[in-house]
Amino acid sequence: MNNSIKSRLLIYFSISMIIIVFSLGFVLYNSLKLQHIADRRFEDEQFLQEIQSHLMEIQVPLQNYLTSYSSSSLSKLLYIIEILNESIPVKRIITSNDSDLIKREIFFLLDNYLSQLDKIIEQKRGRRVQEYTENYQNLTNLYNYITDRINNVSLLGFRVQLEEYRNYLSLFRRIQLYSIIQILLATAFSFTILMQMINNIVNPMYQLSLMAGKLSNGEFNIPDMHFSSVNEVNQVSEAFNDMKHNIHHYIEEIKKQKEMEQQIMTEKVRNLKMEQLLKRMELYTMQAQMNPHFLFNTINTGVQLAIVEDADRTAEYMENLAALFRYNIREKQFFVSLRHEIKGLDSYFNILKIRFPKTLNLILNVEQELLDSFNCPAMVIQPLVENSVLHAFKSKEGIGTIIVSVSYEDPILNISVSDDGVGIPEDVIKELLTPHTHDYKLSSHVMGLENVIQRCYFFYPDQEDVISIKSNPREGTNIEIRIHTEVQPCIRL
Amino acid sequence: MVKTPFLSKESADEVEEVKFHYAFFLPAEDSSFFSRLREGAKDAASSRDCSISFHSIDSDPLSFEMAKYSGFDGIGLYLYEKDRSKLQYLSEILGEGIPVVQIENEVIQGPGSFFIGTNNFDIGKGIGQLALDTSIDRLNMVLVYSKKNPGVMSDRNLVEMGLKSVLGDRLSALSTEVTSLNPLDTGMLAYDLLKKKPSIDIIVLTDPNDTLMTVQAIIDMNLVGMVRIIGFGEHETIKSYIEKGVLLGSIVRNPYRIGFSTVMALKELSINGYTSAYADTGITILSGTSQ
Repeated sequence: MNNSIKSRLLIYFSISMIIIVFSLGFVLYNSLKLQHIADRRFEDEQFLQEIQSHLMEIQVPLQNYLTSYSSSSLSKLLYIIEILNESIPVKRIITSNDSDLIKREIFFLLDNYLSQLDKIIEQKRGRRVQEYTENYQNLTNLYNYITDRINNVSLLGFRVQLEEYRNYLSLFRRIQLYSIIQILLATAFSFTILMQMINNIVNPMYQLSLMAGKLSNGEFNIPDMHFSSVNEVNQVSEAFNDMKHNIHHYIEEIKKQKEMEQQIMTEKVRNLKMEQLLKRMELYTMQAQMNPHFLFNTINTGVQLAIVEDADRTAEYMENLAALFRYNIREKQFFVSLRHEIKGLDSYFNILKIRFPKTLNLILNVEQELLDSFNCPAMVIQPLVENSVLHAFKSKEGIGTIIVSVSYEDPILNISVSDDGVGIPEDVIKELLTPHTHDYKLSSHVMGLENVIQRCYFFYPDQEDVISIKSNPREGTNIEIRIHTEVQPCIRL
Repeated sequence: MVKTPFLSKESADEVEEVKFHYAFFLPAEDSSFFSRLREGAKDAASSRDCSISFHSIDSDPLSFEMAKYSGFDGIGLYLYEKDRSKLQYLSEILGEGIPVVQIENEVIQGPGSFFIGTNNFDIGKGIGQLALDTSIDRLNMVLVYSKKNPGVMSDRNLVEMGLKSVLGDRLSALSTEVTSLNPLDTGMLAYDLLKKKPSIDIIVLTDPNDTLMTVQAIIDMNLVGMVRIIGFGEHETIKSYIEKGVLLGSIVRNPYRIGFSTVMALKELSINGYTSAYADTGITILSGTSQ
């Protein structure tokens, strides 16, 4: 069924019209029925009055005929007798109705009256004076009685009609009351269905307006609205729900885009800072390389001078020193092979052995197969050893030992530098292991160690334990670098 | 749908057609006896495929005169006096072959005439039997007839004969009085009797209304138990008086049964042409012992 406003209006209008037509038809039907009943009442009365008038008409011609033998009176008499004979019904039904019973009596009395009338006419014709004279008296009595009975039945009928008139008035009032009630009901019904239809349209629109207000305030979590109204309103509500979902969706998308942009901006800032840090580190490296490069040339001159003067130990020392500086100067990559790093460390070890032949014990534990298998950040082991040489044995007497170990525990490559020196205070360790995300000032005495630590953090920002320091006072220090071989270092910048 | 009074009246017009029309000619008075008789006749008619019209034999004698012309299938007649003209009309009716059932009083006998009612001799016997219940040896009784119950009054000899046949020598004196159709004149009569004839032992009434009025007079004059009363009818108040001992007893006819039996007899006559020529509807005696 079409549920549009148009069809609903058509249906409601039709129903209202049907009710009104039915109401008017009801009134009309009852009025016609009442009219018909009243007509029937008067039909009976009219019939009896006609009979009575015919009986009255008989009296004069009868007297004339009996007194003067008038043929015209006789013919008139016979004519009226004929009319009466035709008027009187042959079938006389018996019912329990008093009027019907009296009418039946009247018909039988009329039969007898006409029969006696015929007899009197015959007696008159036969000139039987005494007989028709006596019978005339009887006939008159019968006539009077018939008249009385007709009057009785008329009176009875009048009483019945009077009662019926009261009923008629009562009924008419009732019909009027029913008509008014029916019209009121029809009006109320029409008004109700009209209001229902209006409410069906207005209520959803009101709800939609409230919904629109909430949407304008940014409330998108309100439930959908579904109405059982006309099609047009239902379509509007569905469209409104769709619009709400779409707006919500678009706003969420915009928020996500903003968040992403924010993240990108944050990333950019971070990258800029890291780039700045790298540049600083590069600058530091270059600065750090400046002196060794100058020294490299100077040392080479010293080597040649030592060879010329046959000072072999001096020449060896100078040569290792030159090799160490050469490694530092030539190495431009962030990551180098483990073999390359260990080679540079060897040169440094040779120098240290010449410098501290009796007070320093250097041990290198490296599995040869690891040397070509893994890479490590450039220049990370030598600064750690240098740090131990410079600080671990300052106030310690006897031989100091420095052990460099490289091992592999899948997937971690462990590089450790340990000494048996004085150790590092706890607060210094804590400060050293703090990642520097902002500008920091280089300190000359911790420059090498801090440089290594910060570079490890830089290459592996997500691996907090990439470098650790374990130190006990008077017992020594162990600095361990743990490189996750399956994680790519952050070297894009 | 509104059912109109006219429609219901119209449906009343369409009442079922019946085969026979009987006319009842009754006295004009509207006593309970005739009311019950009419009720019995109407009930019988409604269940016996016939209709009844009631006519007054007193106030509308022409109706009875013209009955022979009126097409009645039978007549129930309560004729309580042997008026010559009415006897002639009755003869003419019988002469026309219209069956007549005489109620309570058989004023004429002959073919086509039948009797239904109470035997007044039995009424007299019933009164006598009630009087025997008293311990009085020599009874001084007053028998009050009433025009409201003409059937008893018309055959007063039979009543008195029945009474005497039971009481015999115990009845020392029996006087009679007659009340009119005026329902209030009994009170006057009762006061007069009690004042003028203080030796009265028993007053016998032949109408329910007269009975109630007389009992009231006895109570008013504080003569309860000193003057005994034999009433007539089975009114609830009468029964109550019997229970209390104010009334010695009451003679009860059955007018309803009389009316009903009359219609039954007329119907039988219409269909078969004959019925039992005599039907006694009997009496019932109400007394303190029968309650």
